[in-house]
Amino acid sequence: MDKKRVLIVDDNSAVRSMVRQVFELEPDFEVSGEAENGQEAIEKAENLKPHLIILDLSMPVMTGLDAAPHLRTALPDVRIILFTVEEGNEVERLARVGGIHAVVSKTQPTATLVSQAQALLASQDDGYGSDQLRNAS
Amino acid sequence: MTEEETAPSQNIKYPHWQRQLEAALLEGDPQTLRQRVDAAEAALFLRSQALAVTAPENPELQAISDAIRILRTIQTEKLGYPPWNK
Repeated sequence: MDKKRVLIVDDNSAVRSMVRQVFELEPDFEVSGEAENGQEAIEKAENLKPHLIILDLSMPVMTGLDAAPHLRTALPDVRIILFTVEEGNEVERLARVGGIHAVVSKTQPTATLVSQAQALLASQDDGYGSDQLRNAS
Repeated sequence: MTEEETAPSQNIKYPHWQRQLEAALLEGDPQTLRQRVDAAEAALFLRSQALAVTAPENPELQAISDAIRILRTIQTEKLGYPPWNK
């Protein structure tokens, strides 16, 4: 089975490093790149063509919410998980509007992030749409 | 109450991240502020992960939430981060 490429987007290098470690332990994923803000994510995504983007919300230059619609336009099949400490209905509403597929709280175990990623990509492989926002906060 | 008793380092309740948060709050050098904020944010993230399996009533979780809100304010007001909820 081909590995699913993951792009990790977070302004904090410690968070990126931890997320990278988590995905590198999974045999069905490979981390293809990292970005520090939304603008850099757009630039890297166009080259790396990831299957999955783990996207922070609050970042310098461009937020995750602002980047998400651009990422969906450039890569219509990409799955996006907003990985954030911000919680609540407003974040979920804006995530849905931006085309984000799931919201996972950074206060949840990182296993939750992996399971959400696997579920999203499995539903894509099964041919089901994923327009409904998943919430694991 | 003496000055020594009120010094921030004397009142560490959450040793995994409180010192880093205070360092960010007290940092006056704009060049160093981003590093301090990043260090505090990383410490809070790691602690959140460690507490992820504890009861949601754990008071440290609320303290972490408050600390993150403070860091967000610093990021938008002093570091030029765009607000996500504009």
